[in-house]
Amino acid sequence: MNKKINVLLFFTVLFGFPLLTLLLPKVDYSEDEKRKLAQFPVFSWESYLAGHWTNKIDKYFDDHFPFRRALISWTPLFHAAKGFESKNEERVVVFKRKGKSPKEQAKAEIRDTLTFLDEFEENFSGAMVIIDGCVYPMGAGSPKMGKAFASMVSEYAQRFPEIRVFSAVAPLSSAFIPVEKYRHYNTKNRNSLLAIKNNLTNGAIFSDVFEELNNHSRTKLYFGTDHHWKPIGAYYAYVAFCKSAGIQPVPLTKMTKKVKYNFVGTMYQYTKDPTVKAHPDTMEYWEPQVETVATNLGSQSTTKGTSAKVFYETSSGGNTYSTFLGGDHPLMRIQTSVKNGKKAVVVKNSMGNAFAVYLISHYEEVWVVDLRYSKQNLAKIIREQHINDLVFAVGMYAAMSNGTIGMMRRLAFQGGTAEKGTKALKNTTRLGTDSIK
Amino acid sequence: MVFSSLTFLYFFLPLSLVFHYASKNDLYRNITLTIFSLVFYAWAEPFWIFLMVFTAILNYGAGLFIEQRSGSHYAKIAMISTVVVNLLLLIAFKYGGFLYDNLNYFISLPFDKPTNTLPIGISFYTFMVISYIVDIYRREIKAQRNPLNFLMFISLFQHLVAGPIVRYSQIEAQIARRKVDWSQLSSGVTRFSIGLFKKVAIANVAGVLVDKYLNTQLFELSSVESWFGILMFSVQLYFDFSGYSDMAIGLAKLFGFDFHENFRHPYAAVSVADFYRRWHISLGKFFRDYVYIPMGGNRKYHDRNIFVVWFLTGFWHGANWNFALWGAYFGILMILEKHMKFILDKTPRIFKHSYTLLLIVFSRALFYFTDFKQLRYFVGNLFYSTNNSTSGLKSDISAHIFWFALVVLFCIPWDEIFHKEHQFRVKAEKSYLYLQPFVNACLIFISTMLLVNATFNPFLYTRF
Repeated sequence: MNKKINVLLFFTVLFGFPLLTLLLPKVDYSEDEKRKLAQFPVFSWESYLAGHWTNKIDKYFDDHFPFRRALISWTPLFHAAKGFESKNEERVVVFKRKGKSPKEQAKAEIRDTLTFLDEFEENFSGAMVIIDGCVYPMGAGSPKMGKAFASMVSEYAQRFPEIRVFSAVAPLSSAFIPVEKYRHYNTKNRNSLLAIKNNLTNGAIFSDVFEELNNHSRTKLYFGTDHHWKPIGAYYAYVAFCKSAGIQPVPLTKMTKKVKYNFVGTMYQYTKDPTVKAHPDTMEYWEPQVETVATNLGSQSTTKGTSAKVFYETSSGGNTYSTFLGGDHPLMRIQTSVKNGKKAVVVKNSMGNAFAVYLISHYEEVWVVDLRYSKQNLAKIIREQHINDLVFAVGMYAAMSNGTIGMMRRLAFQGGTAEKGTKALKNTTRLGTDSIK
Repeated sequence: MVFSSLTFLYFFLPLSLVFHYASKNDLYRNITLTIFSLVFYAWAEPFWIFLMVFTAILNYGAGLFIEQRSGSHYAKIAMISTVVVNLLLLIAFKYGGFLYDNLNYFISLPFDKPTNTLPIGISFYTFMVISYIVDIYRREIKAQRNPLNFLMFISLFQHLVAGPIVRYSQIEAQIARRKVDWSQLSSGVTRFSIGLFKKVAIANVAGVLVDKYLNTQLFELSSVESWFGILMFSVQLYFDFSGYSDMAIGLAKLFGFDFHENFRHPYAAVSVADFYRRWHISLGKFFRDYVYIPMGGNRKYHDRNIFVVWFLTGFWHGANWNFALWGAYFGILMILEKHMKFILDKTPRIFKHSYTLLLIVFSRALFYFTDFKQLRYFVGNLFYSTNNSTSGLKSDISAHIFWFALVVLFCIPWDEIFHKEHQFRVKAEKSYLYLQPFVNACLIFISTMLLVNATFNPFLYTRF
């Protein structure tokens, strides 16, 4: 008797679902997925032999399965039943705006002890989530500011039509928090950066750093104890840049790999959280096999300066990230053994340091301009040095702040040697610098 | 088409059952089953179905010829040449690109690398026809006279894509006439439900973890994470393949066939040799009967025979040197075990079991990484890694803790612990009889729910 029940119950399910497929009204559109559901394909030998026809039938059955929506909505119950969810050592810490409390003054002191200050420490306020000793900012920029950044980049593209102008903005590490409930930060980061893409004009080129990083999100792309990305994250940004620039990225295997240990960076200094300190980062980085001569330039000369290096092997401890270019310098010129006559300017904040070092494989000269500290006129550099490519390689905070966008505009006019620009550009420049004050 | 797809479950399977049982006529049933099997194959392989049909025609004719000339030199020549042609087809389609790369390394070949896709199931049906031809030559079976029946034997959708390697002698009687009763149907339903659940709810879940821990930048992995990743791959491989075999056996029962077991709780093994007596049994028996014993078995050159068989077993799994290395690894282990038997015999069972598991799990690295650079890096990582972060691992373990328990429950050989007459087993089976229909329905429902939710669902073993 039980055997009969076993068989009949199985057959009821086996025949029941197909019958329901036939009987239930057809739905053409999935509201949840915001897409049209698959249509039954028209047969053709060409489509069949290529395997497309049968694939489309599979998709049709998948899409029109009875109670599909309900079944999908019940799936999380299975995943929840596999074990304990949210078992991470997870907590959210909220920081108030600077200068509003004695605590903030203490934080300011901490900042003074840091070797590389940038707009992250300057501007950031809000919440961070600490998961298993890794700190993630709970922010994601905004499409509105993305539009403003795109406008600034487009102005450069309009002003210098003879060169290629790139936007290569890094998302925040919040885009890759490995906990499902923070997944929305991934979408928010994407949307902010897509706003840049959608608003670039005058031939400015968008390097899709987010997509490239997102494709490798299983890899830890950002430091847990520091607000920068890991060299591997910067590498994928470089790959995204190469794709948009039509050049072949150098594989990591063709570079010299090095490792530094026990890096406890800014995020620990900022949070003073013991779990963060207990999880120091290891920094693996790759040096392109290119000979270089680097010079830190002052506020006037574009030829004379102090000798510098692309990689600082001795940087360690809290300064580990300064391995790249020795940290933030106003203006650095890197001459390489790549004798192809091509020159690039990288306008960057500290996120761009780890990125810029990969470009030495493709350019005879790479000029690295720190958007905050450079006193030299960028327009003059572009014209006099016959620059081919101008890359805005910055972190999200630089791209999503009126203050830093203004600084980037100002680069083309500062130093008293600004060339003639458009009226609109001048006006917006003034607005930008005003907003900094 | 794969068994764990909605198209198969709720379109192909019901239709094939309806047509198959629409008449009691054996010829009608064989015709419908053959047509459905060909449709099943052509669904995924619209072009290479001709290769499969050609193989069936060739071996059908050769089988009759060998039987007719049995005992003569002609029979021997026909047997050898048919086996060679079958192997050449397998080599050409499966190993063509691999041979080209290796030969081209030494001599510049005047033609381009073959770019054909691997015909699905070729490794399985080639071995089936080889065993058929050799068995006729050995006069162990009689050649099938009805070409339709022979085509059905080769193309049965239950075993065509990913085995098991069914011997003709196992189902000879069932090809001509099949009796199906409630008991067999019920047993088929249970087996199929368990197999589907093993594939969808265990192998696929393990696959996500494998992807996370192994398909990543290896330098990011700590040693513990590396071991976890390869352990999950071991879980995925076993549940993927044994789940498929369970489904094949269950489906066969639904249509009146009895396939032999292909797995017997391999992770409960107490030696490497024991493991491979429990893992992919049909392949092990094929190599034993058609390679190992003809080479001399344990009578002469025993070590050489073991090594050759395992080297070939490795290559059977894939056209890459890592599979050869994997085979050689087991060949050496088998030889060592044979010579160290006196130590193993005196070792407590728990140590033997741990030793076996460790070696088996480690061997999965040779199976997973087809790139030797990655393999070397990963193996190094297993013992020493510059990264010691395990934060993600801890949360993954806690998020899967009950699932791990389920995996362990499935791996324990309950039927070996409690023999058939054991009082506990008799009582448990009796009580479970009432629950069984509902448990099976639950397994099917959960699997369906996950299939509806999933988009990525390949069978690992279809690539062999």
